[in-house]
Amino acid sequence: MRVNVTINGDQRQADDVWEGESLLYMLRERLGLPGSKNACEQGECGSCTVYLDDVPVCACLVAAGQCQGREVRTVEGLAAGDDLDPVQRSFVEAGAVQCGFCTPGLVVAAHDLLRRVPEPSDPEIREALAGNLCRCTGYEKILDAVRLAATRQASGAEAR
Amino acid sequence: MSPLIGRAVPRVDGHAKVTGGARYAADTHVPGVTYGTLATSTIARGTITTIDTTLAQAVPGVIAVFTHLTMPRLVTPPSPYPKGFVPLQDATIHHNGQPVAYVVAQTLEQAQEAAALIDVRYHAEPAKVAIDDAPGEEFLPPPGPEGPQEFVHGDPAAGLANAHKKVDATYSSPVHHHNPIETSATVAVWDGDQLTLHESTQSISLTQQIVAQALSVPQNTIRVLTPFLGGGFGSKAPVWPHTLLTAAVARQLRKPVKLVLTRAQMYTSSGHRAEFRQQVTVGAAKDGTLTAIVNISNQQLSRTEQRVFNTSESSWMVYGCPNIHAKQLGVRLDLPTPHFMRSPEGPALVGLEMALDELSYELGMDPVALRLKNYTDLNPENGQKIGNQNLPECLKLAGDAFGWSRRNPTPRSMRDGNELIGWGMATEAHSYHARASSAWVQIDTDGHALARCGTQDIGTGTYTVMTQVTAEALGMPMNSVRFELGDTNFPAAGFSAASVTVSSVSGSVDKAARAARDAVIALAVADPHSPLHGAAPDRIVTEHGFLFLTDDRTRRDSYQGVVSRHGKPVEATGSFLNVPGYTTGASFIEVRVDPWLGRVRVTRAVAAYDIGRVMNHRTARSQVLGGMIWGVGYALTEHTMIDRHTARIVNPNLSGYLVPVNADAPKIEAFFVDKPDPTSPVGAKGFGEAPITGVPAAISNAIYHATGRRIRDLPITQDKLL
Ligand code: FES
Ligand code: FES
Repeated sequence: MRVNVTINGDQRQADDVWEGESLLYMLRERLGLPGSKNACEQGECGSCTVYLDDVPVCACLVAAGQCQGREVRTVEGLAAGDDLDPVQRSFVEAGAVQCGFCTPGLVVAAHDLLRRVPEPSDPEIREALAGNLCRCTGYEKILDAVRLAATRQASGAEAR
Repeated sequence: MSPLIGRAVPRVDGHAKVTGGARYAADTHVPGVTYGTLATSTIARGTITTIDTTLAQAVPGVIAVFTHLTMPRLVTPPSPYPKGFVPLQDATIHHNGQPVAYVVAQTLEQAQEAAALIDVRYHAEPAKVAIDDAPGEEFLPPPGPEGPQEFVHGDPAAGLANAHKKVDATYSSPVHHHNPIETSATVAVWDGDQLTLHESTQSISLTQQIVAQALSVPQNTIRVLTPFLGGGFGSKAPVWPHTLLTAAVARQLRKPVKLVLTRAQMYTSSGHRAEFRQQVTVGAAKDGTLTAIVNISNQQLSRTEQRVFNTSESSWMVYGCPNIHAKQLGVRLDLPTPHFMRSPEGPALVGLEMALDELSYELGMDPVALRLKNYTDLNPENGQKIGNQNLPECLKLAGDAFGWSRRNPTPRSMRDGNELIGWGMATEAHSYHARASSAWVQIDTDGHALARCGTQDIGTGTYTVMTQVTAEALGMPMNSVRFELGDTNFPAAGFSAASVTVSSVSGSVDKAARAARDAVIALAVADPHSPLHGAAPDRIVTEHGFLFLTDDRTRRDSYQGVVSRHGKPVEATGSFLNVPGYTTGASFIEVRVDPWLGRVRVTRAVAAYDIGRVMNHRTARSQVLGGMIWGVGYALTEHTMIDRHTARIVNPNLSGYLVPVNADAPKIEAFFVDKPDPTSPVGAKGFGEAPITGVPAAISNAIYHATGRRIRDLPITQDKLL
């Protein structure tokens, strides 16, 4: 089948999509957007998290065909050119990134949290990121990054 | 100017990683790529009697289906290839999950559908998958790369007979899987007789060597690229069959082939930490002086490989004891070959550190005092000093910060409301290996430097730390330096495992950069247009991209000035073989236990290490945080369950195999002694694996302190505390 979908603001088209194909596969293998990672394909790790019409989803669990006529935003679409989103900048500065494989999913999940809850409590951060596994960092620096991004947004200086 | 080395600079690859721009093996885009998938065996031991691929071959888009009957013949590479056999070469099945067919198709779905349609019939034989399945079958394997499997020092029997107090107990831990978040991936691209492998590996050189051996081609016809790795923890240090098979089918089909292992396949394709059991007997005199350490261990081996990976160095390297006996037995089971997993010396240390805690209670002695009493920095094998390993200072740094002196040693004596609080501690220790490495540094006419080394960044921070090392040696700002790695076309380095990367690669990078700097200084003093013309080279220093005369800083030139007048880039190489060593530390843990539910939470962790000179306080600390959470998983949640009847892994996924999640993360403090190691040009030691090694014991010891229950079988799950 053919799928027409808006990705990071661009109108994109994928052909010969198989009915059972995931959004993640379409992004990575057909549309040249390998930023979202495949680490379990079962909704267990959160590495594939993307926005679908502004709702974060595990792209491995969404059928590509379901995205027909809808909007998808991936980790590649968060920064404005070289200008990183405050969440991305905070991940780098707080040291929340090691191997980086969990990072794209975490950045999207944290981005979504801060849009909904600008000043989250620690339990709210932990809850929002509960579906994102990281094997490297021990999580502490990821929580620091989210706190840092929240502070930045609250101060308004970095708001966009 | 304060030195760059040590500074907690952010990762230089951070931008690429937060934007999705970092390209891991599976992200490689190759025009015309085809997709490989593995069909794997459903029995653990026996032979394939028939294999029918008719239906599979009829699936639209399928290009080829290879079985043991049709697969190109490959050579089984010698050690360090860890498997002892290459699958798809004959009908024998050595373990569940062994590849029985390799399907290539236009899309992954087509390949997977075809793989599911292959009809394999087996003659199955009974399989043994647990140490308990094979009583009496343990044996002493032949010496491995680390030496003989038995170590005797002094007279252990006499030492135990003379002990005032003794502990004799058995400790065990199950199979663990590395579970890096990136599953293993290979993209094989042939161009004539030249192969490019985009590979998720902790060792590009080893991949090049082993693939060349398997395919019987010269090593220099293979290029391996790993610019980014999504974690490995040992699973990607060796070369496993899926890489060999992918390279072979791509050659046969004359098409690029991409293979990404599924999460479930990672449980049978890339090693694991072997099931481990040890009987530890320790004895001490009244004052706590150890009179004997005996550690007799047994661990799973496969039918095709007998190398021992859970090794017992800690039995003789950490504490000075006149009488030591360590013996590493193994038992062959019908499981995949185990391998090393982050901190392979950890399991043996866990038993020792739990036994010492038990001994401290027998003696009525503080567990920290017991360790201080017996600390040594002499290697009993040769009587030589082991090098910098300041355990006493680590115990003090971490113990003071934790508040250990306020501990009431009596079990169940500390409470907060309904919750029992326990404080436990353990020594941490791990050796690091020696590996030769070479590096190349070039200073361009624009004054920028490019450094290259065929090493890896497995997430630990090699890009960042080696940029710091290069910039400091050159006397340049970090943003004038670019460090590249992960390409076998670069000067070779060893694997990124066994805590060896920083300690080995920093030496060659430092040497190459210093040689390049000296070459530029030589150009400057010989250049009549340079303000430094005619100066003595040893009176010139470099800082921030400039060259100065030490006693007259107004006489200065710049890298850009000197090299641009020279008209072409200046380059230099450096090689180095590091001295292997031993890294120690200490961890102190607080747990809270719900006495009714048996639920344990690790709430506080304080650790200190002697890692030589700290290269980057941020990345070093990250190793502690990551190691600590691994220790939490080891102690409380991680357990690969294998069904003893079907010989299958029951939980080959991230929902059944419980890697710690963010709610499991304690509050962690980390300290470093931070004294340069004299054997390293930059003062570095190997470090990555020392954190974790004692943490499971410290947690278990804390649980004993909280509850009075000594659980010697890890993980300590809720049911064991009810
Ligand atoms: S790959 Fe989608 S949740 Fe793991
Ligand atoms: S940084 Fe490696 S998995 Fe999170």
